[in-house]
This record gives sequence, C-alpha cells and structure tokens, in this order.
Amino acid sequence: MIRPDTPDRTKGLASVAQEDVAGTVHGAGTDNTVEIRTAARPALIPTVRAVASDLAARADFDLDAISDLRMAVDEACATLVAMAAPGASLRCTFAVGDERIDVAARVETGTGAQLPTDSFGWRVLQTLADQVAVETGEEDGGRPALTIRLHKLAGHGL
Amino acid sequence: MTADPQYAHLTPLLEEYAGLDAGDPRRERLREQLVTGYLPVAQHIARRFNHRGEPLDDLVQVATVGLINAIDRFDPGKGGEFFSFAVPTISGEVRRHFRDQSWSMRVPRRLKDMHVSINGAVSELSQTLGRAPRPSEIADHLDLPVSEVLEGLEAAEAYRSSSLDEMLSSEDGSATVGELVGDADAELDRVDYRESLRPLLAELAPRERTIVMLRFFGNRTQTQIAGEVGISQMHVSRLLAQTLSRLRNRLDPDDRSF
Repeated sequence: MIRPDTPDRTKGLASVAQEDVAGTVHGAGTDNTVEIRTAARPALIPTVRAVASDLAARADFDLDAISDLRMAVDEACATLVAMAAPGASLRCTFAVGDERIDVAARVETGTGAQLPTDSFGWRVLQTLADQVAVETGEEDGGRPALTIRLHKLAGHGL
Repeated sequence: MTADPQYAHLTPLLEEYAGLDAGDPRRERLREQLVTGYLPVAQHIARRFNHRGEPLDDLVQVATVGLINAIDRFDPGKGGEFFSFAVPTISGEVRRHFRDQSWSMRVPRRLKDMHVSINGAVSELSQTLGRAPRPSEIADHLDLPVSEVLEGLEAAEAYRSSSLDEMLSSEDGSATVGELVGDADAELDRVDYRESLRPLLAELAPRERTIVMLRFFGNRTQTQIAGEVGISQMHVSRLLAQTLSRLRNRLDPDDRSF
C-alpha cells in the first residue's frame, strides 16, 4: 500500500464541515450532521475517530456507547482505507440524532471490491454498532465505492 | 478516625521515635516497627483507590511511602491524633501518584485530579445504575458542569494505559471470569472466519484475551467486563482498542504494510 508522492499523502489534512442538513438523517429528530473528508490514509483515522467520540460524548451517550462508537468508526475506517483506490479520499458523515448517531463511511475503491462479512473485523463492527451494513455503489465521478453504514444508540437497554 | 485498640501499643513508640535525634541508632528499628504496625492503614487506603487503572501492588507501595512520611513528620508535641495526620498524608501520596505517574502527555493538574474523581464516579454510578453512566450523570454526581466532565473525559484519552503485565487481581473472582470465557470460547468455535483467529488470540496476554473474548464472543458490555475482571471501564476501553488494532495488523499483514 505504499504510494509515495501521491498528492493526497502530502496534503493529508482533514477538512471538517459542520452544517445543518435537513432531511438526511435516518429516523432521527434534530438534524445535526458533521462530515469529515480525509485522504484515505491510516494516519488520519485517529482524527476521524476522535470526532466520533467527541460527538457521542456531547450527545450524552453513556461511556460504553461512546467507546463502542469510537472503536466501530476506527474499525470501519481501517477496513475501508485498506481497500481504497490510490489517491482516494475517505468521507465520514455523522448524523447526530435523538439518542443515536448514524455513521456513513465511504471510500473510492478499485473495480469489483467486495467487503467480506465472514471476517473477525465484521464481527467486531456488528458487536460494537447497533446495526451495520455495507453498500457498493459509484461515486459521483463514476468510480466504484464502498460505504459502511452503521448506527449507535446512546445507551444500553434504555 | 479514632484510635483503634489494634494500634494503641504504637502510640508510645511514636512519641519515643519523635523524641530521638536524627542520628540515633534506635531510630531505624523503631521506624520499622511503626511501619509494620501501621501497614494495614496504608493497605486500606491503597485499596480505596483500586480499580482505577493502577496496579494494587503499586498503590500499596506508594501508600507505604506516604505512611513513612507521616511517621517521620508526625509531631506528638503538637497534639492531635496520628491518624488524623497520617490518613490525609497517605491519601495525598496516592493521589499524587495518579496525577504524576500515569500520563502520556502534559495535562494540567486540574484535569488529572478530575480524572481521578471521574473514574471514582464512574465506578460508583456503574454499580448503582447497573450500566455505564452518561456524562450528564457523572456531572450531577460530582456537582460539576457537564462541560468540565467532557473536558475531563477528553483528557482521559491521554492517560497512559497501565503496563501490560499488570495482572488480573486474583481476589476478584477469577473463577467466574474463567467460566464466562469458557462460554465465549464455545461461541468462537461456532463461527467460521476467513482468518484463523485462534492462534492470534493465543498470542495475546491473558487479560487482553479475556477482555476480547468477553466483548466479542461473550456478549458483555465494557462496564460488565470491568466489574468481572476488576479494572475500570476506561481501562477496559483502552485495552480493547489497543488489542483490536494489534489484532487488525496481525490479521491482515499483507495489506497493511504502510
């Protein structure tokens, strides 16, 4: 996976945009979405997971749920980054709703990339998130892409 | 704290010790007697700080240092009980240990102190609620604004995870943990992964393996694991995250040569 001198490796900064996006939140009350786009590089995943954990803490998730979401985002991003096409970016959207956060993590891949669901990594995602699914599709530019969607509820047995 | 009859015989020794010159050869032996005699006090205080991410053995050692300081500095001539002087001295030493020894980056002292209070609150609230508390509940419990608790939780990320060789404390029902892991093990057998997980799990330190097994194959929350293994929820969280990332790198070595 070493690709020296691709533009993304030198840029490498995360851009964080916070905005109110009406109608994009699945089954949630208030619309409060945060989107982060980074180069699809492992070194930037800690930034993304820190955002996830911060959003969950501010939404008053219980400590188990905060930590679970943080690890789930870490796992999802690591999985996607490992499958990313050269020069791809990783885009993570966090929709903070009432007592839940919906996450969509997406990366451009090579043609025919499939995410195995019989892996330990998938088990990890299933355990940490309340629900997780994978989608294959195309980016706007027509490049193939993989998306992991998951959501986490604010607490256990509430 | 009033004088316990268990310690009554030590009071005259304290007075004798305080009366001796610094170079007196009898000091050494007296001090030893006093430290041994009051040791249960130091152990008791150390145990109050257990399950907050530091090994109990270390805490007892630090508390003993506090006890020695208390014995050296106590002045019976000023009046007052030894206990009312020793207890804050020993607790202060243990608190300082939490503050100074366990941080991987510079964190203001206020936040370090808050980390100790938050950890204590989490452990109490988890017991009463039967689940992990929310930041708002921690704030209520400590009578702090939520914003400060959030700041404290964020700072907790800089808290060094204790040494990997920190052992499962044997007094905390390892038998139950053993049974639970047995159930998780059976669950692991039922799942067929594309990777061979078992040899990798076998390479983990026993506690890390226990935690991973209970979380991913034993259907336990971090808070439940914390209670069963006898460490704090935040410690479980750190160990799980570290172990997952180590496993991930080992599971997929070809793709991960960044």
